[in-house]
Amino acid sequence: MNLPVEAVLRPRDLGEALSMLAEDPSAVPVAGGTDLVVQLRARRRHAPVLVDIGALGLDRIAVEGNALVIGAAATMDSIARSAAVREHAPALATAAGQVGAWPIQCRATLGGNLANASPAADTAPPLLTAGATVTAAFPSGQRRIPVLDLFEGPGTTRLAPGELITSVSIPLDPVPAGARRVDRFVKLGPRREQIISVVSLAVRAALLADGTLADVRIAVGAAAPTPVRAPAAESVLEGRPPGGAARREAARALQEDIAPIDDIRAPARYRRLAAAVLLDRLLGEISHG
Amino acid sequence: MAEPLGGRHPRPDAVMKVAGSARYVGDLALPGMLHAAIVAAPGAPARVVSLDLEPARAVPGVEAVLAAGDVPGANLVGTIFPDQPLLVEDRVRMVGDRLALVAARTPEAAWTAAAAVEPELEPLPGVHDPVEALEPGAPVVHESGNLVRTFRVRRNAGGDGAASAPVVVEAEYRIGGQEHAYLEPQGCLAIPESRSRITIVASCQCPFYVQHAVARVLGLPLASVRVRQAHTGGGFGGKEDYPSEVAACAAVLAFATGRPVRLIYSREYDLQATTKRHAMVVRHRWGADTDGRLLFAEVESFLDAGAYVGLSTVVAERANVSAIGPYHVPSVKVDTHVVHTNNLFGGAYRGFGAPQVTWAHEATMDRLARAVGVDPVEIRRRNLLTGESCTTCTGQELPSPVLAGACLDRATELAAAWTGSATVAPSPHLRRGTGVALVLYGCNLHHGGQFLDRSSAVVILQPDASAIVRVGLTEMGQGNLASAQTVAAQALGLDPSRVEVWEPDTATVADSGPTVASRGAHSTGLAILDAVRRLRRRLDPVAAGLLGCAPGEVELADGVARVAGDPSRAVPLERVLGEMTARRIETIATGWWRSRPRWFDEATGLGSPYETYAFACHVAQVAVDPELGLVRVEHVAAAHDVGRILHRDAIEGQIQGGIVQAMGWGLLERLELDRGRLLNPSFTDYLIPTASDTPEISMALLEDAPGAGPFGAKGIGEPSFIPTAAAIRNAVCDALGIEIDRLPFTPPVIVDALGTAHPFADLLD
Amino acid sequence: MDERIVVRLVLNGEERSFRVAPGRRLLDLLREDAGLTGTKEGCGAGECGACTVLLDGRPVPSCLVLAASCDGAAVVTVEGLGGPAGSHPFQRALVASGGVQCGFCTPGLVMTGAAVLEAGVTAPADQARLLSGNLCRCTGYVKVFEALRRAGEDGDG
Repeated sequence: MNLPVEAVLRPRDLGEALSMLAEDPSAVPVAGGTDLVVQLRARRRHAPVLVDIGALGLDRIAVEGNALVIGAAATMDSIARSAAVREHAPALATAAGQVGAWPIQCRATLGGNLANASPAADTAPPLLTAGATVTAAFPSGQRRIPVLDLFEGPGTTRLAPGELITSVSIPLDPVPAGARRVDRFVKLGPRREQIISVVSLAVRAALLADGTLADVRIAVGAAAPTPVRAPAAESVLEGRPPGGAARREAARALQEDIAPIDDIRAPARYRRLAAAVLLDRLLGEISHG
Repeated sequence: MAEPLGGRHPRPDAVMKVAGSARYVGDLALPGMLHAAIVAAPGAPARVVSLDLEPARAVPGVEAVLAAGDVPGANLVGTIFPDQPLLVEDRVRMVGDRLALVAARTPEAAWTAAAAVEPELEPLPGVHDPVEALEPGAPVVHESGNLVRTFRVRRNAGGDGAASAPVVVEAEYRIGGQEHAYLEPQGCLAIPESRSRITIVASCQCPFYVQHAVARVLGLPLASVRVRQAHTGGGFGGKEDYPSEVAACAAVLAFATGRPVRLIYSREYDLQATTKRHAMVVRHRWGADTDGRLLFAEVESFLDAGAYVGLSTVVAERANVSAIGPYHVPSVKVDTHVVHTNNLFGGAYRGFGAPQVTWAHEATMDRLARAVGVDPVEIRRRNLLTGESCTTCTGQELPSPVLAGACLDRATELAAAWTGSATVAPSPHLRRGTGVALVLYGCNLHHGGQFLDRSSAVVILQPDASAIVRVGLTEMGQGNLASAQTVAAQALGLDPSRVEVWEPDTATVADSGPTVASRGAHSTGLAILDAVRRLRRRLDPVAAGLLGCAPGEVELADGVARVAGDPSRAVPLERVLGEMTARRIETIATGWWRSRPRWFDEATGLGSPYETYAFACHVAQVAVDPELGLVRVEHVAAAHDVGRILHRDAIEGQIQGGIVQAMGWGLLERLELDRGRLLNPSFTDYLIPTASDTPEISMALLEDAPGAGPFGAKGIGEPSFIPTAAAIRNAVCDALGIEIDRLPFTPPVIVDALGTAHPFADLLD
Repeated sequence: MDERIVVRLVLNGEERSFRVAPGRRLLDLLREDAGLTGTKEGCGAGECGACTVLLDGRPVPSCLVLAASCDGAAVVTVEGLGGPAGSHPFQRALVASGGVQCGFCTPGLVMTGAAVLEAGVTAPADQARLLSGNLCRCTGYVKVFEALRRAGEDGDG
């Protein structure tokens, strides 16, 4: 079967790719294609011209200065296995290792996971909690967009036409002396593997020597039109120990942060309860070391 | 040479399948071949106001677009009832109903053309619940009414027990359907030769059904329709009758164009349009004495047949007589209604109505155990068919030994052994539970289908002492080639690698009925044994001449003919065959098997619906995370009354596969509908178990009660599936201390069942 | 419109060149253009794994891969892994363990399993997780696991 595509442009370098995307506003970048091809086949998306950005060397993963920089075309598999990611952004490594099944992970890319802007995109919550920014390039330059500002709604981003995500930067913010970095991701679905998240949750914080949490960041996937931060739950936890009364208060506050809907995958009530349980348990695990 | 019987020799189709050289329908192409697509109704029910096919004809590459009036023979595909058109004439009853067919030079052109047709449909009121469909004033699916038929069992019904039972339990079970999810979608290749005859290569379980269906739509004699089964990528009942529809489509397009036509379903259309396990509503009112001994059982079931009868009446026949299970009940009243709706097309699926009623009777047995205050194993022990009370609910006497109790004992032993050996990590979030379920499975076809319970085989010994075996029943992954090869090798004294069993071809053997009802090994094997018996009437005298013994003394083993009791007096079989060739004695024989006639009264449901029975008991051990509604099946212990093991890997594979498939049905697999339209027609959202979901499985294969099959074998395909979901249900309810009466147990169902007991329920107030 | 695209592959060890439509999927290039029908299409949506092949050594769902993206890549299909006799250790172990039933998922499973062995993953739970993208409806996976164990034990010899 041939997909309804009229042209696949294969630029030699990033500059050429950006010109191609700029010249034809209908052109769509493709790297792994694991989301896009599904949409094209189902005629849920019309993209007659594709620009293949999979072979432009955008797959590097490296620490550069004060940031962990992951190329947009890095695959989930390479992210999950990367020592640098596992050290500096363990929640992202966990999430990348749970996007679809292994063959999907060997093909799906970080840039694609973000650009598709699924509310359930598993890499989004850990990037939100890590304060990551995407670098979006265009022919005359590039700009940095916090992942927090990237998503507009289900399937839509705030990228301008012709803009291409080239990399994702995760700041290497050190924790205070004596503190421990906590960076966790957990996803939930009706099946253990190869499942679209019904709820996912990332928590990143510093666990201080006195047992309290600082710089608490929580993000939730599949519980709102976009992956979201959870400011209400975060503020409940800030400066408090993760165990004890704060757990339940945070689970309650989290309900204000999310706005799940009933859909084919789960009812809203289930998503709310599950988000509460996941947060409660993560906090329990953190407090027990 | 090890005896083939009960061995683990490689399955004959294994190497070609691992090497990727086994060709399925989608792998076959012919010069000039066209690709077919279906114009399907997007909604139902509806009246067809207009159907403009010109947009399809205008698509480049399109060679034919056909509507109902273009069918050369009868525009019908129903297997039993003539209620289903191949192409809709004026009334759409089911989402996915075919309005027109397209053949084009590429698949893309065919699909584009099909999508270009925009039928004008006037929506009609539909009915989407099998209980509501029987209420007065419900929209009718067919003018004959929504109640297709009711099957009954009446055995001492309304006797004293019903009035005086001190313990009565009642429940209504709502049991969801299931998609077969065979990995290979439906597909067929039709190869016409002028308009006089046609060859069909099909992914199918029942080539003779396909032959009949194609002959009917083309108006050809049966003899002019040849159906060859291609390698078939899974069936489970889903390729029982449905491939007849696929073949009929390809055949009419092939006749219209004079060219080979291949039709391969997309997964999405396959999920929407093909048959499913019936969703059922089962109502129970069962009574017992204070010790939990059953006094009466009343069951009323509603099968959601969908818009066409298909095989629903036959499924209901099995559900009806299976409703009480392996228990001794003095007074029985069963009503099983087959009901039309505008939902998915109910049909054959592994277990054929028995899994649903088993899920219900095993849930009720646990309810009863709780009501009386005894252990679920003990309540079963008190009621199982054993010793002197071995009469089924239809009044059929079971021959001894009856292994119901032995299956229960062995499965519970295996479960206890696992508990003792397992390193189960304690978790504050998990609650563990154990559940048990039993099944009494009637082997082969029900009385109502016994006219089909027959089988043909041809055995051709080759000059090099290898053997060609032609059979009428199909391999779809269940192991029919392996069991047929094993039986033939055992009977001919050959190494299995010397026996080539070829996939069925309707031009080589007589109509052998369908490959269903766990009857493959049984009916194929007995037909092969009959053929070997006939061959040996000619072979044994020749061998006897070479051996210098009486023909009655000849035995075949290890590739030689030898004198029974004196294995040193032997000649290679090759030499015997050389002698037969030299003497122009034919080395081909046909074989035939048919089930024994039996008595059954449809009005009362009494008599002998099945020739023999097999018992099975599964014990499921689960870990439930009630707050998230997750169920992990940790271990399943399975004890099966198998009669005799033909091929050990094949039988184990059936049991392991049956358990995991049934676990999917019990926990994961949802057919989510909106007015008959499937909302989750993909493997993204129709979830089947993955490798990470497989529980540990231990099994006991009991060979103490020979069946009527070859060497005493009994069918395993369906008994391997039937009890699992019920055992899981009981284990989850054991873990949670509540009753859940809907299947499947998805996480939201379990969380909802906790209600306000959920630790975070108050957050949502 | 619909300009054909040249795709050069090292396909099962052999340099090959194909001219394909821009919307060609790698799966169709393999099945239709290269005649390698061992790779199967079970769902077309990357969910079933029957179409898994090795692309530059990694298992990928070929139904979701644009052929045009594969220029210069090395592709191994089930036909190339162990030849017509299916002689890769995992293929032989699947036969010996009885882990092949209907066979439609088998080619994809063979490719992922071979990649699991190549990656040196031996813990059963990890093996199961990596195989979770290859749906099998017949076997319940038990004999597949057994085959992977056997192949891991025998494969190096």
